[in-house]
Amino acid sequence: MAAATQIETVTITVNDLELTVPKGELIVESVKRLGFEIPIFCYHPRMKPVGMCRMCIVEVGFKQPDGSVRKMPKPQAACTLPASEGMVVYTDTEAVHRDRKGVLEFLLVNHPLDCPICDRGGECPLQNNTLFYGPSTSRYVEIKRHLPKAYPLSKYVTLDLERCIQCGRCVRFTEEISGDSQLAFRFRGANMQPSTFGLMEFESKFSGNVIEICPVGALTSSKYRFRARPWDLQTRPAICTNCSNGCNVWMDYRVDKVVRINGRTNEAINEEWTCDRGKFGHDFYNSPDRLNVPLVRRGTALVETNWSEAYSDCIRAFTSSTNTAGLGGNANSNEDLFAWKKLFNEGFKSNELDYNWTKVAPIADPTHAKPSIASIEDAPSILVFGSSLADELPIVFLRVRKAWFKNGAKVIVAHDQATDADSFAELVLNYQPGTEATLAQALADAKAGKSVEAAAKLTGVPAEKIAAAAAHLTSSTAIITSHELLNRPGAHDALGALKGLGELRNYALNANDQGAAEIGIGTGTKRSAQILADARDGKLDALWLLGVDPFEVCEDHDLVQAALENVAFLVVQAHTKNGAFPYASVVLPMTAPAEADGTYTNADRHIQRFGAVLPAKGEAKPAWKAFSEISLRLKPGRPWFNADEVGRALGAEVAAFANHSFNQLPTEGLPLV
Amino acid sequence: MAERKLILEHAHDPAYRTLDGYLAKGGYEALKKALKMERQAIIDEVKTSGLRGRGGAGFPTWIKWNGIPKEKSDKLHYVLCNADEGEPGTFKDKQIMEQTPYLLIEGMTIAGLATQGDRGYIYIRGEFIDAARSLRNAIDQAYAKGYLGKNILGSGRDFDLFIHLGAGSYECGEESALMSSLMGERGMPRLKFPHAPLPTISGLWDSPTLINNVETYACAPFIIKNGGEWYSTLGASTKNSRGTKIFSVSGHVNNPGNFEIEFGTSLKELLEMAGGVKGGKLKACVPGGSSVPIINAEAVDRAIIGYEEMADVKSMVGSGGCMFLNEHTCIVTFIWRTALFYANESCGKCTPCREGTRWMLQILDRIRQGKGQQGDIELLEEVCSQIDGRSFCGLGDAAAWPVQGAIRVFREEFEYFIANGRSIVTSEPSLVMAP
Repeated sequence: MAAATQIETVTITVNDLELTVPKGELIVESVKRLGFEIPIFCYHPRMKPVGMCRMCIVEVGFKQPDGSVRKMPKPQAACTLPASEGMVVYTDTEAVHRDRKGVLEFLLVNHPLDCPICDRGGECPLQNNTLFYGPSTSRYVEIKRHLPKAYPLSKYVTLDLERCIQCGRCVRFTEEISGDSQLAFRFRGANMQPSTFGLMEFESKFSGNVIEICPVGALTSSKYRFRARPWDLQTRPAICTNCSNGCNVWMDYRVDKVVRINGRTNEAINEEWTCDRGKFGHDFYNSPDRLNVPLVRRGTALVETNWSEAYSDCIRAFTSSTNTAGLGGNANSNEDLFAWKKLFNEGFKSNELDYNWTKVAPIADPTHAKPSIASIEDAPSILVFGSSLADELPIVFLRVRKAWFKNGAKVIVAHDQATDADSFAELVLNYQPGTEATLAQALADAKAGKSVEAAAKLTGVPAEKIAAAAAHLTSSTAIITSHELLNRPGAHDALGALKGLGELRNYALNANDQGAAEIGIGTGTKRSAQILADARDGKLDALWLLGVDPFEVCEDHDLVQAALENVAFLVVQAHTKNGAFPYASVVLPMTAPAEADGTYTNADRHIQRFGAVLPAKGEAKPAWKAFSEISLRLKPGRPWFNADEVGRALGAEVAAFANHSFNQLPTEGLPLV
Repeated sequence: MAERKLILEHAHDPAYRTLDGYLAKGGYEALKKALKMERQAIIDEVKTSGLRGRGGAGFPTWIKWNGIPKEKSDKLHYVLCNADEGEPGTFKDKQIMEQTPYLLIEGMTIAGLATQGDRGYIYIRGEFIDAARSLRNAIDQAYAKGYLGKNILGSGRDFDLFIHLGAGSYECGEESALMSSLMGERGMPRLKFPHAPLPTISGLWDSPTLINNVETYACAPFIIKNGGEWYSTLGASTKNSRGTKIFSVSGHVNNPGNFEIEFGTSLKELLEMAGGVKGGKLKACVPGGSSVPIINAEAVDRAIIGYEEMADVKSMVGSGGCMFLNEHTCIVTFIWRTALFYANESCGKCTPCREGTRWMLQILDRIRQGKGQQGDIELLEEVCSQIDGRSFCGLGDAAAWPVQGAIRVFREEFEYFIANGRSIVTSEPSLVMAP
């Protein structure tokens, strides 16, 4: 971090109140410091101001040497006006109010005013600004502009052109934030409309954000369309569990059904953005395949039963042998994982648990340097090595792009295929598949001034390029890798070489992969693939699948099938029927992430709380509760009553989690100790 | 006063379009002189001359030239020529580019010398194929003879000149939109001072950029050759307008065309140069291109051409697109056609212009169809006032002024049309615009 620099300030006057602000700060932001409000549409604090909608116009003057104020002849857009010494701003004069009325009247002349059936109705900036600043009637008697309604831009986004007020937020988002430049304006004047090129499919990994930043109901969610009125929705803070970034979101539900997910601001994690995978990946909550009663196998059939009988079956199988194992890997809370490990270690006398499915084991020490995701922004150069970041960790990708777009960071991408980050990369090192370790070593060699000709030949990356890339690497370079690299041979050598080249950030893939590693899951003698192989060979007596569908996470489907067929006893603990379900000896219904209190550890070791949003389905229980109850049968005593107690027990046992229990965490989460 | 031809003196001589012909008539003497002058001395001559921008706004030219950083950073300096002449009624730049291309090229080269310009761009309106051809030809000859490119006339100074054809948008004549367009972006205006640095500091590709109109650059050779002092004697009778100005006279006149006159000439004299009114008595005049407010015959009689003088009759010099209208012209229809142009040409960036121009057009359309209502005139005035000064760039203002001006001067025609459902001039719509 650079030392705090002296901020150059200027003194301005807003509505006769003097204040000092950083020089060049936009007036629209400055006035907020005094609590004054300026209505906006096109302005968005995370994007470059454009001054298109003219909603924020204010009167501006300058203090003259004699103390008088000389007003500028024209009103000015506050969203583009940088504060300068002696500036005098009026946000509340009659002229300003008249101008705001004028702009709103213009915006409404061609707006269909179909608010009663508009998704945005009730949470619409246009409605709100009209209520507070607009005219109460319209003088427009001509025919409104008619354009296609409900045009499906993609499977997620539906465009209603009539409602569009041409603020350009969506266009700028795809240009400045997501970088896919999928949207642009076409036609001009009153016919101007945002569009994809030739109205082709809106292909983006972040398209959902434009729905949220649209100040009207022009860009609507195809999934949420006509599903609810905003005032009918209950909104709760939640954590996205679709990847290890742990984005903060708002979960909107109606009765007991999730209908929508919106971004929730957390500067340390996701700013305010969401990726499409997270924003639209909530279907499983309402799936008809949800499991809600325990099932046990009787003969060839799975029959409904009660928890007691299911527990008995499990205990019988897992205590009669110590040759047992457990596999997880998909969004279980820290509490679940801790209770799981505890049950296996103490109740079943086994430590063969794994949560990780990469071909190569992650670096043993889970606490190895993981600077915060937000700090990527400050890195002068960034090396994305062997990771198609936009697919694996989309929001981390946005940070990398922001570091380049806003702060001019030099981005170097090394991958064996084309990736999304290539578009803004300073250098793209396109190596031959399988030569990751060679390239990483070559970068280190080049930095040490050694010849890299041989490596260049092997990797297919020209030696000059390797040298040029190495020249950008300093101790403050953010080196980002992910699970993708761990699926390559030589990953450990590559990571070893990369470690010395800058700040290595080897990010986990799935929600709470990092938590599992911290808790000590995966410290057994066998890795996931070996456990499956043992099961296939009849060497395993009982297998416990915690929330994971091995068919999804393991590429070798034959192995998975053989393993599930041959294992003597299989527990499937899941919230939804999955591929392992037909092989189960016992099925334990589990709550989905939003249905129980829990904490999650994200890729940069940030631990966040996720309070229950929805009631549990049927008889489903949080996994930790089931584990606690089984433990109680094995060893009578006091069970855990809630997630916080599990968390405190975890904190007592694993130092990193001390004082990080559910009730101890603040809303915005905390980094692990 | 009669015509006072500087720029157009040899316009009708085909030889003048070749380098040899241009040299024979004393061409490039100014450049040779400028090459021996200090940079600041060139700018001082322009300052003394009192030259003001000929594109419409009348901004003192030397201030722009002087605004380019004197100390050069690693950024290139650009000299940009706005040749996107799209103002309805204006066709002076077209003639300059087609018939006197070397005046523009020499003028830009001089501007390049004065501002340490590395590259010049002439952004030409897309329809001006002939002008582009003429310039292309002239630039090629100038390069061949060492008047452009590396080491100009052995002086060790370099200046490259490129032409670029627009794609037919009026908005791209707005200087910042022109730069957007030239850089390959959508032709939309960019933030201006005080919201962003001046183009002289950060224009094309964030580099110092000097941008002037074709006619402005074409004046430079005369100023350098004869001195700013001499140039400032032209138009000395006016308050603050110096030199000559080309007016494109069109409409109901017997002899339409470009007329170069000294500032201080009366509008009436200009009308006489163009052969007087055709087909009836004079009714109105739009003196400076479609965006300036219309004036009536009485005002034409007392109007003196000069940036400040035209304000006395509540109009402007503008770009010099002077349209005279005879007594058979329906002002409502004339303004409707003007509004149609602006509604078509609004780029759509800002709300007031995008929605306001369309609304104005719709109201005028309705009036023309005989469906005008009580209150339409007041509504038009209100809509104009909501656009004027509130839009992102000048296009919105330019769309509002003609309507505001017409209502101010010819209110009774609008009232008549609304009350009677037809024009005050004739009941035959088809005859309304006929000469």
